[in-house]
Amino acid sequence: MPETVSDPAATRSPESAAAATGRRGAVWAARAQRYGAGVLLVLLFAYNALATPNFLTVQTLLDVQLRQAAPVAIVALGMALVIATGGIDLSVGSVMAIAGQVGALTLLAGVGPVAAVALALLAAAACGVFNGSLVVRYGVQPIVATLILFIAGRGIAQLLSGGRLTGFRDPAFQFLGLGRVAGVPMPVVLMVVLAAVLWFVVRYTAYGRTLLATGGNPRAARLSGVRVGRVTMIAYVASAALAGLVGLVVIGITSASDANNVGLGLELDAIAAVAVSGTPLTGGRISVIGTLVGAVVLRLLQNTLIAQGVPREVAQIVTGVVIVIALFLQRRSR
Amino acid sequence: MRVGTKAVAGGLLAAALALAGCSNDASPAGGGGEAGAAPTASADCPLASAADPGNSAPPTGVPMATAAPKLPVKDTYTVAFSQNASNNPWRLAETASMREEAEERGHQLTVTDANNEQAKQIQDIKGLIAQKPDALFIAPITEQLGNVVVEAAAAGIPVFLLDRDVDNTVAKPGEQFVTVIVSDFVQQGKRAAWAMAKATGGNAKIIELEGTTGSSPAIDRKKGFDEAITQCPGLEVVVSQSADFTRAEGQSVTETLLQSHPDATAIYAHNDEMALGAIAAVRAAGKVPGSDIQVVSIDGSRDALTAVDAGELFATVESNPRFGPRAFDTMEQYAREGQVPVQLVLEDRLFDKANAAQNIATAY
Repeated sequence: MPETVSDPAATRSPESAAAATGRRGAVWAARAQRYGAGVLLVLLFAYNALATPNFLTVQTLLDVQLRQAAPVAIVALGMALVIATGGIDLSVGSVMAIAGQVGALTLLAGVGPVAAVALALLAAAACGVFNGSLVVRYGVQPIVATLILFIAGRGIAQLLSGGRLTGFRDPAFQFLGLGRVAGVPMPVVLMVVLAAVLWFVVRYTAYGRTLLATGGNPRAARLSGVRVGRVTMIAYVASAALAGLVGLVVIGITSASDANNVGLGLELDAIAAVAVSGTPLTGGRISVIGTLVGAVVLRLLQNTLIAQGVPREVAQIVTGVVIVIALFLQRRSR
Repeated sequence: MRVGTKAVAGGLLAAALALAGCSNDASPAGGGGEAGAAPTASADCPLASAADPGNSAPPTGVPMATAAPKLPVKDTYTVAFSQNASNNPWRLAETASMREEAEERGHQLTVTDANNEQAKQIQDIKGLIAQKPDALFIAPITEQLGNVVVEAAAAGIPVFLLDRDVDNTVAKPGEQFVTVIVSDFVQQGKRAAWAMAKATGGNAKIIELEGTTGSSPAIDRKKGFDEAITQCPGLEVVVSQSADFTRAEGQSVTETLLQSHPDATAIYAHNDEMALGAIAAVRAAGKVPGSDIQVVSIDGSRDALTAVDAGELFATVESNPRFGPRAFDTMEQYAREGQVPVQLVLEDRLFDKANAAQNIATAY
C-alpha cells in the first residue's frame, strides 16, 4: 500500500505509471523514488551501528537521535500540510520564537503552566491566521506572505524578550520538553502521536481529500465545490500551531527562551525534510511517514558527522550532497 | 581525530552511493588513548599547581596617540556611543555600563543601535558626527567601518573604539582614532585551560565546544586554550565541534558527543550559554556535572555564576562587558594628558566556587 497520498486527478503514482509501461528498471527506479529517504536511513543506521560507539543503545536512539529529530519532524509535518496545498511556510522558525517567548513570559507572570501553554499556542495560531489570510483573502504568494512573519516575527519575539534570555524552572511547563511517558521522551511521543493523527486525517477524512485536491488543482477543486480558502487556512493555522508547540518543547528542554536563536533556520530544515521525503513542492501530494523519515535522516546525518568530529563547514557540504543524492534517487523515474 | 575526518566523510559518501564502504571505518573514533595506559600524574602538569595566569600584561611598545583630534579639559562632556547590536545580554550590559558611567560622571550621552546592520551603523555614525559631540565611542560591527571613522576625525571629533577594531590601513590608530579598548580572547582561553587543569588535576579527555565558526572569540579562545594545554600531556581534546554560541546547540551537540566519546571527562565551552546546554546534556546522560564531567567556560554571565555556585560549572572566565569606566577614564586621561596608548586591554576576572556567589547579583 503506497504511503504517499496524492490527488488522483492531478498525479498518477509513479509506481503505477512505471508498471503501466512495463519496464522492470522503471519499477525499481520508482521504488527508489518512493523510498529514497528510507534507503539513506538504513545506510546511515548501518554505518553508525558499526562505527559509532554506544550507538545501538536505547538511550542513544531514543534520547539523542529521535529526541533531537522530533522538533524538526513536528514542524515538518505542518510544513508538509502547507506544501500539500501548493504553498510554503517560511515563518515557522519565527513563530517558534514568538510562542516560546509568550509562554515563558506568561509563565513568569504567574498565570500557571497550563494557561501559559494555551496562550503560547494561541499566539502561534494567530500567526497562522495572519499567514492564511494573506494567502487566501489577498492572494499573496505563500513565499512572500510567510516571509513577512519570518522577518517581523523574530523582531516581535525579541521585542518581547528585551534581548535577554528569559530563564525559568517549572517542571509542569517543561513537561513538553523534558517529560517522559512510559520512559519515552515527550518530544518523541508528540512526534509519533501527531504523525499518526495527521496520517489518519490525510488518509481517511474529507479534509485530507479536499486538501490534496486543493493543492493538485485549485481551480478544479473550487469548481467541484471544495472550499479551497478554508482548507488552505486550516493548513497554515495547523503549521503555525505545530511550530508554536515545538517552540515550547525547545525552550522546555533548555529552561530558557532565547528569542534570538529559538527556531533559527528551522524552516529550511523542515522544508529539506519534506523535500528529502520525495514530496514535490508543487502541491497535491503529502507523505506523512516520508516526512518523518526525512527529518530523522537529516538529524542522524548531522549527528553522525558531529560524533566523528567532522568540522561544521564540511558537515554542511556533506548534508547538501546527501540531499542531492536523495533527490537524484527520486528523480530518476521522471 | 583529524585523520578520521576525511575517511569518515569519504566513507559516508561511499556508503550513500553504494551499499559498500562501511566496514573499513569500523574502528571507533575514541581510540586515542592507549588501553591500559596509567593516568598521567598531575606532576607532569605545571598548570595544575600554578596560580591563575590572570590578565595578560599590558601590551608593551604600543605607541601613544598624539596625532588624533584633541579633547579640551572640561568638567562634563557631550558624548555619543554607536552600539552595533542589542540582541544579546552581553551587548545590553555593555550599553548599560556606558549609560551608567556617563550619568555618574555627569556627561551627556547619546546612544544609537545599529540592529546588527553595517549600513545602519554607518548612517548612525554620520548622524552622530553631524551633532558634533566632544567625543565619539564606537563598537564597530566589522572592521569595515574605517572610512566613517576617518570622517569623524576629519570633523575634528576624537574617536574611541570599543571591543572591536577597524581596518588599520584605512583608519590609523592614534591618528584617525585615539585608541581601541579590547578584550584579550586568547588570554581568556589560557585562563580557561588553567581552570581546566585545576578542575581535573591535569588529567582529562576534553570535549571542546567552539563558538560560531570564523568569529574572532571562537578562534582566539580555541588558540589560547589549545596552546596552554600543551604544557600538560594529560589534558587531551578528544573532539572539538562548533555549537554556535547557543544553549540549545550546546546541549544537542554535547548529547551526541557524550554518546560517541563515552571516555570524555571534561568539557570546555567557548561561552557560558553552550556550557549551560552542555551541563543539561551531561545530566540527561545520567552523569553528574562537576564530578563525573568537569565543565569550564568563558563569559561570566549570571546564569553561569549560579551554575558555578551550584557546583555544576567549575569556573567561568569573565569576558567583561563593562566598558564604561575604562572608556571614560581613557577619555578623561586623553583630555588631561593629550595622549594615551593606541591599544588598551580590558581586565577580566575569573569566577570559581570561591567568588561566584558574591558576584551573582552584579553579573549581567
